[in-house]
Amino acid sequence: MSDRENTINDVLKIAKNCRHYAMCKIDFLGTGVCASGLEKHYVSFYPEGRMDLYAALAEGTIPVTEKCVEIADSCNLCGTCDFQCYFVNEMRPSKVMKALKDHVCAYLESGGKIVSQEDDTVLTELKSIVGDFWATNDSAVRIAYHHDLCPHVTFKMPEYVVMPNSHEEISSIIRLLSKHKIPYVVRGNGASSHGLVFSEGVVMDLNRMKSIDFDEKNWSVKVGPGVASFTIQSEAGKRGYRVHTAEPAALVCANIMTSGLLSTFSTTYGISADNFIDAEFIARDGSFFSLNDRTAPNLFSFNNALSEREAFAICVSVSMKLHPVTDDEEGILVPFESLEKALDFARECATRHIGLAIGILGGEFVSSFLAPTKKLAAEAKDIFTKKLGMPYLVLFIGDRYALRSVRDMGQPAIDQKLFKTLSQGLPALHSAKWLDLLKELSDDEPFSYLRLGQFGDLAETALAPSSTQLTEDIDPDLRPFFEGLYSRPEMTDLVWLNTFRILSSRYCREKPCVALVCYLPIDTSLIDEIQGGLRDIAEKHHLKNEFGFITPIDSGKRCVWEYDYFFNHNDPDEISRIQLATYEAGALLDEYSEKTGTIRQVRYVVNQGYCRRENLLYL
Amino acid sequence: MHDDAGHSIVLTGATGFLGAFLMAGLLDRGYHVTVLGRSSKEMGLSDRISDLVRWFSLADPGERLCALEADLSLKHLGLDDATYGRLCTAAGKIIHCASDTSFTERNRARVMATNVNSLPSLLDLAADARTKHLYYVSTAYAAGMREGICMETPISTDSFTNVYEESKAEAEGIIGRYCENTGVPLSILRPSIVYGHSKTGRALKFNALYSPVKSLACVRDIFIKDIVEQGGKRSRQWGINMGDDGTVCLPLAIYLPIRGTVNLIPVDYFVESALCIIEHSVSSGIYHITSDNPPDMTTLADYSEQFLGLRGIRAVWDTSGKNPAPNPAEELFDRFIEQYRPYLSDRRIFDRSRMKSITPGLSTPAFTYEIFERCMDYAVACDWGNT
Repeated sequence: MSDRENTINDVLKIAKNCRHYAMCKIDFLGTGVCASGLEKHYVSFYPEGRMDLYAALAEGTIPVTEKCVEIADSCNLCGTCDFQCYFVNEMRPSKVMKALKDHVCAYLESGGKIVSQEDDTVLTELKSIVGDFWATNDSAVRIAYHHDLCPHVTFKMPEYVVMPNSHEEISSIIRLLSKHKIPYVVRGNGASSHGLVFSEGVVMDLNRMKSIDFDEKNWSVKVGPGVASFTIQSEAGKRGYRVHTAEPAALVCANIMTSGLLSTFSTTYGISADNFIDAEFIARDGSFFSLNDRTAPNLFSFNNALSEREAFAICVSVSMKLHPVTDDEEGILVPFESLEKALDFARECATRHIGLAIGILGGEFVSSFLAPTKKLAAEAKDIFTKKLGMPYLVLFIGDRYALRSVRDMGQPAIDQKLFKTLSQGLPALHSAKWLDLLKELSDDEPFSYLRLGQFGDLAETALAPSSTQLTEDIDPDLRPFFEGLYSRPEMTDLVWLNTFRILSSRYCREKPCVALVCYLPIDTSLIDEIQGGLRDIAEKHHLKNEFGFITPIDSGKRCVWEYDYFFNHNDPDEISRIQLATYEAGALLDEYSEKTGTIRQVRYVVNQGYCRRENLLYL
Repeated sequence: MHDDAGHSIVLTGATGFLGAFLMAGLLDRGYHVTVLGRSSKEMGLSDRISDLVRWFSLADPGERLCALEADLSLKHLGLDDATYGRLCTAAGKIIHCASDTSFTERNRARVMATNVNSLPSLLDLAADARTKHLYYVSTAYAAGMREGICMETPISTDSFTNVYEESKAEAEGIIGRYCENTGVPLSILRPSIVYGHSKTGRALKFNALYSPVKSLACVRDIFIKDIVEQGGKRSRQWGINMGDDGTVCLPLAIYLPIRGTVNLIPVDYFVESALCIIEHSVSSGIYHITSDNPPDMTTLADYSEQFLGLRGIRAVWDTSGKNPAPNPAEELFDRFIEQYRPYLSDRRIFDRSRMKSITPGLSTPAFTYEIFERCMDYAVACDWGNT
């Protein structure tokens, strides 16, 4: 293979490893966001879309079109996407961006013709509604709307992509598509991993609708469907509030619709309808309604079964609750040797309403979140689970009264200061012989060394934590940036990290995963039994599988639990196995759901996420 | 399995520290040894025993060594009838050395299960085999929390430092009563703290004496790294620094409530004593395999300083037993030695009249720096048991 072919293969590998997690669409590192994406909004103008576009061009599945040239030209190779994607996936998309430009340039220089895709009647009518630029049938745009990493879906290439910017435009589009009997799906253009946003007809992308209107006297903020969790959280934070949001790149409206919004803050802030005051929709007939309308459909209901593929209506705004934030909030990590003990502690806190956010995190979560590289994550997992004997860590966020209560409960904990030391000293942990002694000390009482008044000082001396040390394995040209980044206070602040959740994007860094998420009672033996079943299924199909997290909700009566199956989305054999495994896992959860009457799977919440918590959990 | 009653021995605990050395000693003296034990997670019993034979560089014992997977918590040790029957014919003498040596209250159930609750099946074996003699490896510290002379007599206290002592005392009682009722001769061997081989330094486990030294080494290494790699700013704030000769000044006071001693014996002395007892004891008896001249913590601190290239380690006797203002190193070290503290300033004096009468030519080697260094060198070479 020639050097050129090798380079193309390397670049293609990067392109085909894009997780479609959309972190390149939000400014989560303070680097700014791809300028062309912000201006042109279509996915193809963001690094994520350019990855898909390059892969399609390199594999010859689409031609060089007018939009293709525009997309390639619009990238100024600023390198911002490298910082963002390296943070998340340890990838360098700028190589793809450069290859895309080179590909188009070489094509044109060799006399290649730019393919122009003619407008048809439908497109002309769409353009008349939204304006020429905001509706297209150009394959260079459409390609970025045709797939994600979901292993269960047959992907579809849409005929058109349209980007309305108002309720009226949405209504008009819906009526037009109904008239022509053209199927459509709606998306906000955030993260996509569940295969929910594909249509052979039209993809309606609401990313331009980014309105944010605060109503502080009523403790609410109304956000449009193009607003990402990170963005609204940042805006709320500037005003001294917190909004309950999902992953940073998830769009608020879409996230509620598809999963009902859950996080470790669900312990206090709840799930689904607990999170908002009102929401506005465009129905499938193009009419407008809000949840508070007396004649509105009852979206608070929940049917414990797979809902229709298409949403009942398009959410065009949601008025989120603004939660007060006190200046004494702090985070700790409480280690446990077993899930049983971690569950006991988490349930106790939730039942007594102690703390704001609680999450039992498994070793995979903790290590992949903390470590800036895959190599370090693997080491960290080994250290936390084996050397330190901490397979489970309960993340606990609370004010000073809550933290005092946890201390009174007698649990040794990793406090904020020690967390910073461990985070920035992570590379030194690998060779720290004194960790063996800590395990010996735990023989008497688990983790009793954490009670030593000066253990934090000693750990700091031993690990010499610094952002320089933490970034020593990072690509040399990116290292100065990351050194600066990891020295920022928020990067080791458990409250900030848990509020903005930017580290969670690393969870699929090694491989994408299918998250099996369900609500169920905090019943150790039941969870243990189901976990055994899920593990057996994954192992039968030779798939990596891990406990994700558990968060107590509903005053400690129930919890939300994520268990993950990992797979290589570029390996057809692994795709086949993950399909079988998730099918069997779904059947297992259905069986337990039927047997117990108390289990609800989040896959059934899709398109029903605006439901009332009680309807979801109890009825 | 060999059925010459005098020369055929059934041994439990052969994969442990004392049991392994005892097995090697028995094989060296020509005994036929049937080992009762269990597989580990990684290895079957036979392989574990074969590894030990190699570790001791023993000539291939051939049929003189037999390993039987047995579970002491089960009737007939979990063996089928035929195997159990053959074992009974081979059990001329039985040495019960298996033990859980955890001191922690948290492990009470496990310790009692191993050290006490498993005795019935072993005693059944002694009865079924009509064993000529039963030897029980206990501990000198089964004497319980006390000061002064502890006689080589049955235990008469219910006050113990930890669950290990308690379990051993209870086991002594159970076995003693059983043997008294059945007429089986019983020898109880009560060693004190056992460390490595005095002549080779070799050992299989690195707790007890080794733990405080290992802890000091780890604490030292934390500060050396800080001094060498980070300039030692943090170390200096606690008065920790490194001299030109590389010696580390580590102010570390070991607070102990009373002035006492640490009763230590090398494993080779334990084995020689045990073999003497096995070969010469006819009737029942209790034997203290202990040191007549135990060192105190000052000696241990001096030895540790010398071995580890440290200055500043000192024993402080204070009735509170607590350092009022520990630095981080002292605080961590204090926590490390917590479970060993009662044995670091011990006021028990072990009477050894019976022991001396049966081993007239055998005396405890003095605990010299040379022996200490030899043992610690070996421990370091094995990375304290990690390799």
